[in-house]
Amino acid sequence: MVKSPGSQISAGLDPLRNCWQRFVGFLFPLESDAWLAVFRIGLGLQVIVYTLFLRSDWHYLFASRGKGLVGREVGEAITFFDSPLIPKLGWLVALGHNLNMSEETVLTLAWVCLLSAGWLLLLGLFCRPAAIVAWFVHLCAAESGGLLAYGADSFMTTALFYLMLSPLPDHYSFDHWVAKTKPKNPLLSGFWRRVLQIHLCFIYFIGGLAKFLGNGWWDGSNLWRSLIRAPFTVVPPDVLVRFKYALPVLGISICLLEVSYPIFIWMKKTRLIWLSCILAMHAAIGLLMGLYLFALVMIVMNVAAFGIPSRSTTAQAFSGSPN
Amino acid sequence: MYSERIHAAWFGIHFFLLTAICLAGVFWLIAQGSTILPSACNDYAREGELVLTWCLGKQAGASNPLRRGIATYLHAAGIQAGYTFFAPNVPNHHRLRLELFHEDGRVEYESPRVRSEAAALRLDSLLDRLAEERYEPVREVLVKMLAFSVWREHPDVKKIRATFGSVNPPDINEFEQGKIETFQPIFSFDFSLRDEQKQ
Repeated sequence: MVKSPGSQISAGLDPLRNCWQRFVGFLFPLESDAWLAVFRIGLGLQVIVYTLFLRSDWHYLFASRGKGLVGREVGEAITFFDSPLIPKLGWLVALGHNLNMSEETVLTLAWVCLLSAGWLLLLGLFCRPAAIVAWFVHLCAAESGGLLAYGADSFMTTALFYLMLSPLPDHYSFDHWVAKTKPKNPLLSGFWRRVLQIHLCFIYFIGGLAKFLGNGWWDGSNLWRSLIRAPFTVVPPDVLVRFKYALPVLGISICLLEVSYPIFIWMKKTRLIWLSCILAMHAAIGLLMGLYLFALVMIVMNVAAFGIPSRSTTAQAFSGSPN
Repeated sequence: MYSERIHAAWFGIHFFLLTAICLAGVFWLIAQGSTILPSACNDYAREGELVLTWCLGKQAGASNPLRRGIATYLHAAGIQAGYTFFAPNVPNHHRLRLELFHEDGRVEYESPRVRSEAAALRLDSLLDRLAEERYEPVREVLVKMLAFSVWREHPDVKKIRATFGSVNPPDINEFEQGKIETFQPIFSFDFSLRDEQKQ
């Protein structure tokens, strides 16, 4: 019996279809929203800590020229060159001028908005609007103070961006208890967790690879330099010297841990070990270098992505339809 | 199914951009010759970086809508920079030393200051950026503003000399021998109330 050309093409496409189905299955696993609750609460805490840490310097960092440290105009001009559509505090100040509000009042309002959004996220009240406000105001601050920003700001923006797009509210939020909101699609919950997981793999693989390319990570000198580098000098160099023979081992271990993260974090047998080591590394960065905000956001992202066991069976108990 | 396809398409675009950003960062490091790779790799890395920056629309004109769209998205998602922190090696940190010349002839030494430790980290981040070549066009303006922030607290100062430099820490063996960090001036500016003059 001779097969028709149509059925031959169809049979030829079967492997492609199978690949697509497997890809979709990987991208959209059934997932409970426990991870999302951890992510929301963690980021709420992060936003609160961020605003409180900058409380005394908020106006000084983001005021216009002549009033603050360097004036936000330079940072905004550099951002404008990249694209005029990138949000910045200057937009809010201009809007405030139209409403007869001074720059100082607008900056204070922005700070209050950010702090309130952090508390709302922590409590799970008005989750989605709170996530959008937190992302927007933080992005404005990060872009206006672009010259003053560091790694923690990028990670916060990314985390808030994913949180804002995730299927909020989760089952553990006040929104769910009070307003009895309908359960969200568990496949979407799984999708956004996958996005976060894969993003973390990128972060560590690239970070580890780039470190491996520097000779200072092989002999421990980079670890020494990073720990005695102002303003990260929390541990006195006299104390560090006692551990001089451990520094090369630690330096190589950090590179190995990071570069192999995308492999071992997915294996059930090694996940807990890799996650614990990564969390310990971030805790150490926070405590030994004083990078508390950076440490906290990385810990929150890791715990939400890989720290909460996948509970696909629970997801099936959701009353919402998977599609 | 429709929703899945939209999400899958977004996933593809998002991670394509992230891959391009991350690899461009690594290639840039290699092209600078600051890695342990042989120098023969530098040219390949430079070409690779060019291809990736083209993918990100950076070769297009500044007003190109695609370039602007991509840049806006990258900033909104916080993925405009790669993840090559403290790599391949930990760079020196930088310091801005301000000499304040008072009306009565006194000379005082100051540095720009902020109140909190969290803001101090940001100030150091700014100083490290000043050393980068791409910030050269705004260097003088930024130093002037930093000097002005100190000037506001010392209104009787008639002139400020701002010296920016790199702080080279001793390595672990040098530290054991009692060596301390050294300050290597890179540039300096003199600012007075009426005019400023580059040295």
